[in-house]
Amino acid sequence: MTAIQQSNAATSGSGSGNLYDVLELILDRGLVIDAFVRVSLVGIEILKIDVRVVVASVDTYLRFAEACNRLDLESGRKAPNQLTDLVGEATESGAKGKSKGALTGAVEAFSESLQKGQEDSAEEEERPARKSSATSSRRTARRRED
Amino acid sequence: MGTYLYAITAAGHPLRLSGLDGVGDPAAQLRTVRTKDLCAVVSDAPPELRAKRRDVAAHQGVQECLLADGAALPMRFGLVGADDAQVAAVLEQDRDSYLRRLAEVDGCREYHLKVARDEDDLLREIMRESAEVRRLNDRTRRNPGAYDDRMALGELISQEVQARQERDRSDIVARLAPAAVRAADAEATKSHFLSVSFLVEREKAAAFSEAVHEEAGQRGDTYTFSLHGPLPPYSFV
Repeated sequence: MTAIQQSNAATSGSGSGNLYDVLELILDRGLVIDAFVRVSLVGIEILKIDVRVVVASVDTYLRFAEACNRLDLESGRKAPNQLTDLVGEATESGAKGKSKGALTGAVEAFSESLQKGQEDSAEEEERPARKSSATSSRRTARRRED
Repeated sequence: MGTYLYAITAAGHPLRLSGLDGVGDPAAQLRTVRTKDLCAVVSDAPPELRAKRRDVAAHQGVQECLLADGAALPMRFGLVGADDAQVAAVLEQDRDSYLRRLAEVDGCREYHLKVARDEDDLLREIMRESAEVRRLNDRTRRNPGAYDDRMALGELISQEVQARQERDRSDIVARLAPAAVRAADAEATKSHFLSVSFLVEREKAAAFSEAVHEEAGQRGDTYTFSLHGPLPPYSFV
């Protein structure tokens, strides 16, 4: 079975799942006019950097080597159904999943603070806090791989 | 204070703004800045604006409603001019290019496609096809202390991963491009090797979606396709 999901944002509602999915477009694209100031959006530039692929770092090499060592060659293509589970969750939390790597932490932390909505002060979180939560989830991810 | 900018439309746009909220808490009231040919949808800029859920949703909501009635150029979140007079001056000054871009995106919406591939599946494929990877993998499994070999293994896999993802990316984009007006490639993320926006004419949306489903079907179950849209044409303004 092929995994595909589609959202239709056309009509009025902007649900949180949908908002998460278009977040990078709203923050990263769209028309920018030189003469105007961009409000200082704490964390945005960091977010942009963190979601990019990190190319050819020692970290990446070692992670790949570990993943390769752990790989069960025999189980091969016999277990495709975990993937469908993952897909079901993808709208809510694009960052979860064991093979998605270390850098997604920042995105996840960010989307959580978005999804929390109006009610509390957690959304006022300063960048250092967000940063440290990203770091800790990065560490967790690595520990899980060990 | 300043003037927060949401979108630019042609002067003839119906601009039904009642009931729509602007950014900030309490939500700012939307208003328009008009010149002869163009119109900017703006509000007062709230102090210390941040990318909170409420504000990003308000920004997106204004775009969606404007686009339901006609062409609009979506602004990036967080764009603030000094005051309404500066906004009007910018509309006058770049009038021609805004009108041109409005015509380009008229009747079109953005569809954003992300594709991921199960990493274990990709690693198995690399292992099957490279004797050197198998050799290094065996050696590092038996001898976990062999740091240089682990680095060499990782580097080799990394190169293979990139080459394969690059090939998949251009294959997929090439097959979908004919169904769209334009494509705007975005950088891959850690979780998705492909993240591309397509500008699609409204009448051809179904055909485009069909093409994506077909491509997903052919790729099989280790690939995950996520298609989002229709969206404001953020990537094409």
